[in-house]
Amino acid sequence: MSIRPPTLREKRRYLLARIDPAGTILEAKDLYYATYEAVVSLFGDVAAAAMQPSVLAVEKGYVLLRCRRGAEREFAIALSTLSLCRDCTVAIRVIAVSGTLESLRERIATIVPKAPVLPGPDTLPTEEGTAGTTPCGYRFGSTPVDVVIRNGHKVDVIEKGFKNTRRLFLTTEDLETLHATTIPDGL
Amino acid sequence: MKITDACVYPFPVGDSSVQRYALEARSFGYDSIVAADTPAAEVCGITVFPGIFLTCIPAKDVQSRAKKSRGTGAVVAVQIGDNGFNRAVAGTTGVHILRGIHAADKRAFDHVAAKIAADNNTALDIDISALIFGRGHLRQKAIHRYLDLMILYRRFEFPLTISSSARSVLSMRTVREVTGLCSLFGMDEIDVQAALAGVSRVTDPGESIVKVIK
Repeated sequence: MSIRPPTLREKRRYLLARIDPAGTILEAKDLYYATYEAVVSLFGDVAAAAMQPSVLAVEKGYVLLRCRRGAEREFAIALSTLSLCRDCTVAIRVIAVSGTLESLRERIATIVPKAPVLPGPDTLPTEEGTAGTTPCGYRFGSTPVDVVIRNGHKVDVIEKGFKNTRRLFLTTEDLETLHATTIPDGL
Repeated sequence: MKITDACVYPFPVGDSSVQRYALEARSFGYDSIVAADTPAAEVCGITVFPGIFLTCIPAKDVQSRAKKSRGTGAVVAVQIGDNGFNRAVAGTTGVHILRGIHAADKRAFDHVAAKIAADNNTALDIDISALIFGRGHLRQKAIHRYLDLMILYRRFEFPLTISSSARSVLSMRTVREVTGLCSLFGMDEIDVQAALAGVSRVTDPGESIVKVIK
């Protein structure tokens, strides 16, 4: 079938959404299946066919999605019910809706430099007697943890250990430096 | 009027700290959260209410627990049971919220319980986790219960609250997402705003409607 002229083409809407937790790497294809399952389970096959949900790209922790014009509200509701993508717990937060992909890409460009998500602990509490940028151990309560991602005050960590390790969502205030209280009195 | 998430479970039940919940809640458009077994606090401009969630205990014990928690500023929420239990608990002073209607029996919360809840200013909770994580029959049942609840709400005007029952910050939803999810069972934006302010309505009823002037 030949390509239709622009006036005869279906009107589309493009959605920009953030993938939480930060640093999660997802394949666009997996996300498409998860999205489609969320739409179908909530609204059914007929609504999904009319909505034409699609995942266009996953870029810098954000995802660009597409649907038919007029169905973007329902699509956003369905996206808010998405919680798993290939055994990985995620949340898709819709940030913006637009008529063009270009404007959403511009939006990503404005968001990303403002909120750099960096691995490493240079804004975390420091070990006594060490510079702030040197990596050191941390604990949350009595559990030693490894920092995975930090974003401002938000810190994602993973419990240290061989089994039952899970990702914890904390802030810089929650973390304590390992051995910070074991400095001898004579020093 | 505070926009409140009526139930979150911080660490160790969940995987997120209270501070992190507060940070996320602020970016999601909330003013306060009710956190299970957490002391009252003000974190990053977000008010953290201590939450006491009572499940599977008889009505007598609910009364004694509610009495104990009076004056502590805690939000007492009770899991819905059978019809008799719900009527008893809805009329108990000190119980703020009835939770778990999405999983309750069809006849568990009827017009009599609704009237008692309205008279006693006890809120009914809408748990959006049933809509987010439920699939198939479970989600259909939850939507059905919420539709029934909305009929009673329009008739008796008891307070409503909305909770995410989040065990992780990933399970929390923005106010806009909550509005969208609640539209699935016929809540409009005004109803959602009123429901999100439900916790402040039940914990701080304010001045009574009828004033005695001497």
